[in-house]
Amino acid sequence: MDEDPRDIELSTITAIYPELQLDENDPHRLSIELPVSLSKPLTVLFPAVAGAAPLAPAQTAPVVTAAADVDSQALSNLPALQVNITLPNGYPQDKPPNVSISTSPPWLSNDIIRRLETEVVRLWEEIGRDQVIFTYIDDLQRSSDDVFGLVDSKGTLEVTPDHKIALLDYDINAKRKAFEKETFDCGICLDPKKGSVCHKMLDCGHVFCIQCLQDFYNNAITEGDVAAVTCLTPNCAKEREKNAIEESSLKQRKPRTFINPSELLQIPLEQEMVKRYVMLKHKIKLESDKNTAYCPRSWCQGAARSKRHKKPEGFEVVDSDEEEDEDTGLLAICEDCGFAFCTRCDQGWHGEFNYCIPKDRKDAVTEEEKASLEYLRLHSTPCPTCAAPCQKSHGYPSNPYKHFNTQPSGDQNSCYMRLWELEGGDGDDVGIDYEGGDAMRNANVAAGQYGEHLEIVQPRAAQQGQGEPRNEAPPAPVPHREPEAPQPAQPQQPRPERVAVAREGPLVLRIEGGAPAVRDQREGGAHEAGAANPRAPPIANQRGNGGRRGGHRGNRQARGGAEINQHNNRNRGQGAARANNNDARVRQAQVGRNGPQNPDLNPQQEAWIRQFVQLALNDEEDLVEWDSDDD
Amino acid sequence: MAASQKRITKELQECMDLPPAGMTISLASDSDLSKWDVVLAGPPGTPYAGGVYSITVTLPAEYPFKAPQVNFATRIYHPNVTNDSLGNICLGLLKPENWKPASRVRAVLEAVRQLLVEPNPEDPLETRIADEYKNNRPEFDKNVKSYVARYAKASK
Repeated sequence: MDEDPRDIELSTITAIYPELQLDENDPHRLSIELPVSLSKPLTVLFPAVAGAAPLAPAQTAPVVTAAADVDSQALSNLPALQVNITLPNGYPQDKPPNVSISTSPPWLSNDIIRRLETEVVRLWEEIGRDQVIFTYIDDLQRSSDDVFGLVDSKGTLEVTPDHKIALLDYDINAKRKAFEKETFDCGICLDPKKGSVCHKMLDCGHVFCIQCLQDFYNNAITEGDVAAVTCLTPNCAKEREKNAIEESSLKQRKPRTFINPSELLQIPLEQEMVKRYVMLKHKIKLESDKNTAYCPRSWCQGAARSKRHKKPEGFEVVDSDEEEDEDTGLLAICEDCGFAFCTRCDQGWHGEFNYCIPKDRKDAVTEEEKASLEYLRLHSTPCPTCAAPCQKSHGYPSNPYKHFNTQPSGDQNSCYMRLWELEGGDGDDVGIDYEGGDAMRNANVAAGQYGEHLEIVQPRAAQQGQGEPRNEAPPAPVPHREPEAPQPAQPQQPRPERVAVAREGPLVLRIEGGAPAVRDQREGGAHEAGAANPRAPPIANQRGNGGRRGGHRGNRQARGGAEINQHNNRNRGQGAARANNNDARVRQAQVGRNGPQNPDLNPQQEAWIRQFVQLALNDEEDLVEWDSDDD
Repeated sequence: MAASQKRITKELQECMDLPPAGMTISLASDSDLSKWDVVLAGPPGTPYAGGVYSITVTLPAEYPFKAPQVNFATRIYHPNVTNDSLGNICLGLLKPENWKPASRVRAVLEAVRQLLVEPNPEDPLETRIADEYKNNRPEFDKNVKSYVARYAKASK
C-alpha cells in the first residue's frame, strides 16, 4: 500500500464530481465550483446603502434586519462558491485539509466563509480523521439549500445592495443556461427543441421554438393582423386574465396580452418588422378613437397630433390608458406633415373666431346657422388682422370697439382705427378721419395733412363757395392753418358737412393724445358750439323768437354728436321752441356751408370764435357772452 | 410549408394512434394531408346517441397559423350547425380571431364532440333550433332523433 491515500481519494472524488478541477502544479490541490441553486425562488432584499454604511461591505452582507424601504428580488440562483482544497502531507491521518472559499462578488460575509472553511476540520474530526472531501462537499451543497443558514424565518435573505446587479446578472445567466439545456416541445411545430433555439414568452412563460414564432409573427405583422401577435397558446390570455382576477380583485385592468416590441426584437424579429408592428398598433389605436382627426392633405392623411395616442418613436409603444378628455379645440396639427387645420371644416387653420361650416355637411346648413351667417353678413365686419367678426354698436364707456379705438402704444394694437378699413362703409360718417377712409377717396390730399390744421366751418364754407357740388363725394379739405387758432397744436377739425358727429372724432383723438384733461363729451359740445356759433350772432336775428336763454340751451343740446343727429327726438320735454331752435340751427349751418354767401368771417365773429373755443377748452363756455342773442 | 406538413403528419399520427373518444380518423386521400375524414359517433346520453356523423376537416395551406375548416358532412339538428348540406359549425376555437397556432386538430374535434353533448344556444347559427333547445327540450330531442333516423344511421 505504497499509494498515497490522497491520490486514491482524489480519483474517487473526480469521478463523483466531474466539474472538479485538479491543480496542474500540485496534484493534491483541487478546486470546485459549487452553485447555490435554490429549489424555489428566494426573496432577496437589498436594503438601502445608507443603513449598511458603518460596516465594511463584506461584513454587512447577510445581516437579517427588517428594513422599511428595501428593494426585493426573487432569485433562484446565487453566485457559486469557489472552493479550493489543498490536501497537505499527513492528510488524512494527521492533518485536516486546508480549505479556502470565495465568491464573486463577495456576497457572503467573512464570518460565514470562515465558518464554512473551518467546518471541514470539524467533519474531519467527526469521522475519525479520515478522508473527508466527499463528506465536506456534500455538506456544503446541502447547506447551500438554505443559503448556509442565512435565510430568516420569513424566508428572505438580505444582501448588501453593492452586489445587487451582479447577483441579478448571475441569476439571469444561470436561468438562461438552465433554460438552454432544457428541451421543450414547441406547441406549433410539435417538435422537441433545445432551449437554446426556443423563446420563453416574457409574460406567460409559454415556450415556443424561435423558428415558429418568427414564422407566425412575421406572417401576422405582414398581413396586418396585429391582434394575433400574442402568445400562441390557446386561451392563454383568458387564463391569465382569470388568474389576475383571482390574485388581486383590486386590479381591474386586463393583463397585457399584446407582446411588447422589445420582446419581438428579443425573439428576434427583423427591426423593420417590429417597426411595422409598432406603426400598425398606433394606427389601430387611432382608428378606434372616433375623435381622431386626419390631415386633409390628400397625399398625407396623417393623424392629428394627440396627447392620448402619441406617435411612437423607435420601438416604444406608448400605452397610455388615461381616459381624460382632450381639449377639443378646432385646431389640429398633422403629426406627419405638420399641417395645421380646422377639425370642423377641414380647411387650413383660419383662426379661432372665423365661422366655418362642418365638413360633413357642406350643403346642409341648419336654419339656425343660416340665420347666424345672415346676421354676421349684415351686421358684422371681420377684424382685418384676426378675422373675428365684429359688430359696431354704440355704448361708451363699455365700448366693444376699444380694440379699434385705442391708439397704438408700443407694439400693441395694430387695429387702431381700422375697423372699417376694408369696408365700403356703413354710413356717411365712417372713415372720415384716417387715411384709409375718405382720404383714399380723395387722393389729391396728401397723407398727414389732416393733423396739421384747424378747420372750422368758415374755411369750408369758402371752399364750398368755390363751386364744389355738395352732394358729390366729400370734398377734400384744403390744408388750412388757422392763423389765429388759439392752440396751434390743436388737431384737425372734421369737414363741416358731417355736422356735429363728424367733429367729435378728432376731438376724441386729441384728448387721447394727451391734450388737457377735459371730458371729451363736453369738449365735443364745446367745439360743436364753437363751430355752430360763429353764425349765432347773425342767426339770432333770423330766428326772431329765439331768446338768449333758448339759444344757450340749444347749444347745450348740441353737445355730443349723437344728440345733434337725433335732434328731433332728443329734445325731451324741452319744448317745441327749443326743437325749432335746433332745427333752425342745423338748417342754418347747412345754409352757411352751402350758400355762396358768407364767404368769410368778419373779424368780430372770428374773435368770438376764438373766445368761445378758449372758454370751451377750459370748460367754461357757459360764460360766453351771448350778446348777439340779446340783440 | 415543409414545417406545416411535418406538423400535420405528426398530428394525424397521434390522432390515428389514439383517437379522441368516439371518433375514427382517416385521410380523405392518401396523397393529401390537408383533408381529413372523421367519423363521430353521437355521444351516449345525448339525443345524438346512435347517430354516426361524418365530419370533414380541411387544413389550410397556412395551417397551423390559420384555423382548420371543420364541417358536418352528415345533416344534424343542432343550434350551432347550419341545417343544410354545408354543415358549417360555429365554434369559438375556430374563429379566426380566436385561433391560436398551438391549438390542435384533436382539440378542435373534441370541442366539436363537446358541442353535441352541450349545445351553445347563446351563440347559434340556427336561431330557431336554439330557441327550441332552450324552451322546448322534448320537441328538440324529438327532432334530433328524427334527423338521426333520417340522415345519421350507420350504413352497413
